[in-house]
Amino acid sequence: MTLQATDTGVSADTITVVVMADVGSELAPGLFQGAIDGTKAWAKAVNAAGGLACRQVKVLEWDSKLNPTESTNGFLEACSKALAMVGDSSLFIGDVSVINSCPDATGTPTGIADISALAVDATHQCSPNVFATAGVAGTCPFSGTGTRDYKAQTGVFKQYQKIAGTDLHGVYLVPADLPSTIQSSMPTVRALNSVGFGSDAEFGVSGRAEQAVYAEYVAAMQAKGSNIVIDGSNDQTMIKMRSEAVAQGLDESKVLWTCSLACYTKAYADSPVSEGTYVWLSFLPFEERSKNAELDSFLTNVGQAFPPSWAVAAWNSGRALERAVNTIVAADGPNGVTRAKVLKTMSTINDFTSDGWIGTVDFSKKTLSPCFVLLHVENGKYVRKYPVEPGTLDCSPENLTPWSGDAAAAYKG
Amino acid sequence: MSRRRGRFGAQVAALRSPVGLSAGVFVLLAIFVVWHGRQAANLAPFSTKNVATALFTGIAIGALSALYATGIVVVYTTTGIFNFAQAAIGAFSAFLYWQLRVGWHWPALPALALVVLVVAPLIGVGLDRLIMRKLEGAPLVIQLLVTVGVMYFILTATGQIWKQDRPRRLNPFYGTKSFDLGVINITYHRTIVLLVAIAVAIALRLLFRSGLGVAMRAVVDNRDLAGLTGTNPDRVSAVAWAIGAMLGAIAGILIAPELELDPANLNAVLVLAFAAAAFGQMRKLSLTLVGALLIGVARQFMRSFLRFGDWTFASDAIAPVVLLFVVVALPQSRLQVGRIATNLRRRERTTRPWEAMIGGSFLLVAFVALSGGWLNFGFWDPRAWNQIAFNRTNVALSLALVGMSLVPLTGWVGQLNFAPMAFAGFGAFLLLKLANGTGTTLVSVWWLPLVGLLCAPLGALVAVTAARLRGLYLALASIAFAQLAALLLFPHPKIGFTSGAVFKPFTVFGLDLTGRRSFMLLLVSVFVIFMIALVTLRRTRYGRRWVALSDSEAASATLGVSVTATKVIVYAVSAAMAGVGGALFATANSTVDGVRTFTLDSSIPIVLLMAIGGMAFPIAALFTMFQLVALAVGERLEQAGVNHYILAALTFLRYFGPGLGAIGMVANQRGAAFAVGLQNARLLPWRRDAKAEFRAEKDSRREPEIGELGIEQPFTPSRVLAIERRLGVVDDLIPTIKQQEEVSVGAVGS
Repeated sequence: MTLQATDTGVSADTITVVVMADVGSELAPGLFQGAIDGTKAWAKAVNAAGGLACRQVKVLEWDSKLNPTESTNGFLEACSKALAMVGDSSLFIGDVSVINSCPDATGTPTGIADISALAVDATHQCSPNVFATAGVAGTCPFSGTGTRDYKAQTGVFKQYQKIAGTDLHGVYLVPADLPSTIQSSMPTVRALNSVGFGSDAEFGVSGRAEQAVYAEYVAAMQAKGSNIVIDGSNDQTMIKMRSEAVAQGLDESKVLWTCSLACYTKAYADSPVSEGTYVWLSFLPFEERSKNAELDSFLTNVGQAFPPSWAVAAWNSGRALERAVNTIVAADGPNGVTRAKVLKTMSTINDFTSDGWIGTVDFSKKTLSPCFVLLHVENGKYVRKYPVEPGTLDCSPENLTPWSGDAAAAYKG
Repeated sequence: MSRRRGRFGAQVAALRSPVGLSAGVFVLLAIFVVWHGRQAANLAPFSTKNVATALFTGIAIGALSALYATGIVVVYTTTGIFNFAQAAIGAFSAFLYWQLRVGWHWPALPALALVVLVVAPLIGVGLDRLIMRKLEGAPLVIQLLVTVGVMYFILTATGQIWKQDRPRRLNPFYGTKSFDLGVINITYHRTIVLLVAIAVAIALRLLFRSGLGVAMRAVVDNRDLAGLTGTNPDRVSAVAWAIGAMLGAIAGILIAPELELDPANLNAVLVLAFAAAAFGQMRKLSLTLVGALLIGVARQFMRSFLRFGDWTFASDAIAPVVLLFVVVALPQSRLQVGRIATNLRRRERTTRPWEAMIGGSFLLVAFVALSGGWLNFGFWDPRAWNQIAFNRTNVALSLALVGMSLVPLTGWVGQLNFAPMAFAGFGAFLLLKLANGTGTTLVSVWWLPLVGLLCAPLGALVAVTAARLRGLYLALASIAFAQLAALLLFPHPKIGFTSGAVFKPFTVFGLDLTGRRSFMLLLVSVFVIFMIALVTLRRTRYGRRWVALSDSEAASATLGVSVTATKVIVYAVSAAMAGVGGALFATANSTVDGVRTFTLDSSIPIVLLMAIGGMAFPIAALFTMFQLVALAVGERLEQAGVNHYILAALTFLRYFGPGLGAIGMVANQRGAAFAVGLQNARLLPWRRDAKAEFRAEKDSRREPEIGELGIEQPFTPSRVLAIERRLGVVDDLIPTIKQQEEVSVGAVGS
């Protein structure tokens, strides 16, 4: 069979994908470099295994710079050159009309599949052509303002209650540099409130704030006798918070320091204040590469012992595209790969697990995975705490708690 | 009784003064802030421990900004140059220290010694020798913008040497070690910060009392006179720059553990330092230190004990509030009006409106033809001008419109404004609230003039506030205004930009401008209209009055020009233009972010690019647009894998072009538009005057010194013209060489 160019981004010998990520912004330099690393690692793995639809995968990078115009430009770049977008990690997206309706090679306004690593803007989340491997907490369609139904991960909090008792109250650190990050955090805060987390205070944290700003957070904790800190931001935030707690003489042993996958970094583990922090992930940790072949392949191809966690979602975006393309090839042959078919196939995938490395992702319903694993920093290493069996995740549906409300109005700064 | 009345009357009179009024407003504002802030729930109690903690933390952070501010004051007091690059030097030093300590595992002391005692002074002396000394006598606008250029250059170089592809942290001195002091716990690092700030203040106080210190102060007052008394002014200014850079380095290294190591982050403390320096009236070191500590403590207390609900960044606004209050209220003892007036002499021939119309029409046709793919140059096919290029050009064009608002305000009237994006933000905000709420899918383009009209009163309001400010204090006031708008108004979810706000496309005469190309043509049309309007305005009586105002406010007033009314009108015009530009900018972006879009950081590049283009010329906005597009194109070629030598050059220009361009104003103070015009206007068939001017300029380079003329060298019309040019006594009424020759012949005949 002679391979043919079947659509934009699919030539006789190459399939082109675009990875767009916020990398070169002043606010958070290098923020999602991991997404680019992860996508390239996936392409390397696929090409080494013979390619995709009998073609080599070529990855084009686009830096969206936390800038809405550059995000739109990234979509335009993808529409003009690529079969699909993979590992998209852009926080500031205002216009999705391009990916919804840009023309394919025949001129039909098919749009393009954006198999993104994350989607935080409501318009992005609810685009029919966006498939986020990290899932979507809110329901679609959504107008962008007002009340929305959400589901948030609270199963991990129940584990905290088992560790430190049910009377957990403290401080939630909300990433406040962008409205979209605030809105994606607040449903989690309120859902946690509904399962027993007492908000002593909710502080909006900025990537630009100096450590002294955290003095007030520590003072609030001391005043309220807080026993938990939930960091919804990143590892640098947690380092500043814990450093300031030390500076203010807070008894750290009486506080549960908790964070999401954003604190799963080597820099955090190496910092002098990381000891005792709880970190939860929605995928098997790198330390368990012997337990999962896919994880092992990821670490081998990404070429880093401890890659940024954003690389994981990007790699899995690639794997999701790979599955869609393989499905198309199985049905229509390697010359059947088109944007339209990728879109159609992606919207039918409801059991994607990346060979057991992550919890099940249902692209057809755009839901959030309930799966998690809880780690604990001990002597500068991440140690599994729950579930205790290596290579497993807790995927109980009860881990997700519903909340309905206006996420923007819920934030009080 | 009468004495009491007299005292009371004097108090009332004092309250009526600008200082009294400002103080009153400030006190009322402070009372409201505290009252409002204490209404919120879940506040930290006023316990001894909390108060002491907030006090010490605030003092420590204040001490850090005091180190920066002290460096600024030392340099300003000695050289008269206000150094925007102070925090950038600190950022570079912090990265260098990180490299030595963390990257190469040097012990702390040698690393500190190398950075603070060797590298930083070398940077300071280098800046003085290579750049700052050439700014002596330059207009304040140029002095400030050159230091802004230096700031950009250093920050960019820092970002390029230490690529921002991963977070870096510098651990505090002695790590997390701390000690108890009464009820509070204090880290060794913050104690060191405080001790260093005090030691620096004492050392500088002693220095200023020494012979060198006296010489330092003498040099700024009168460099030549100081030289006559045996002082070496060059050595003194080099010492001042070295000390300033050392203080910047110390501050950068000490503040780095409080932040992530990121050039922009480390530079963000600048406004705090400006406020402290202004508090010290730019010359009193003790007051500068007190100001920095007060601001640090006030900010920490606001954060610890007050809540402001949706005013998320209210506590960060304390520095710009203090800065604005200080520059508006305090006496401006160091205004250098003479220097500004001396250097803003008008020598350019003003463009005729019909010339602007021809130029504008050509621009419009060029955009239509190029964007339509009607032309092909062989080496570059404009059909490759794809949607991405349209997007970037649209953003650049709309920012150029914002930049054009600086032409009347800064270019003509000499009112330095670092807040064009704040006015632009108001325009975008008005468009969002007025037009986007109409329920239609498209927005009529006729909303734009209304947006401009509504922005004008805001400009007038700013003008009234800034009426008595000039030069540096005006620049600082505009910085404070930009910060206040960005921190208090735009991020507010109810009165600012609501999250996810989408700007709808325009329509005009039933035409849908949703497409990027049609929107581009709208932008070019507005650009041309603005340009023609400014060119026309410049030649009117009002335009001439505005320009005269920048030469001498006192002289203008004696001629019957109302200085305040004129400023109000110019500010209103500028705000209206920036507002329209901002509305178009927001539409080009389709959405904006109340926290990041209309900030001081986004204003400064526009001011810088306009200055490089030539602030007094509307056409400079076109330069700004081209520069912005070129920066994006450079990046595009980088991604496309162009030849690595070309790429290296382009990359260098992309990163360092704006900074170097601004630094280049040392040599070309009037900007690219003036230089290009001087070189090329003679090519236009109707510009015989430009041909003569060019010839005269050329001749002037060969001309002997003025003193030799009439003694060893005969007077000729072209030499007279050259002398007049050198002396700045010619204006747009300049006669042509031919006319001069006629005069000359007539004189000989008589």
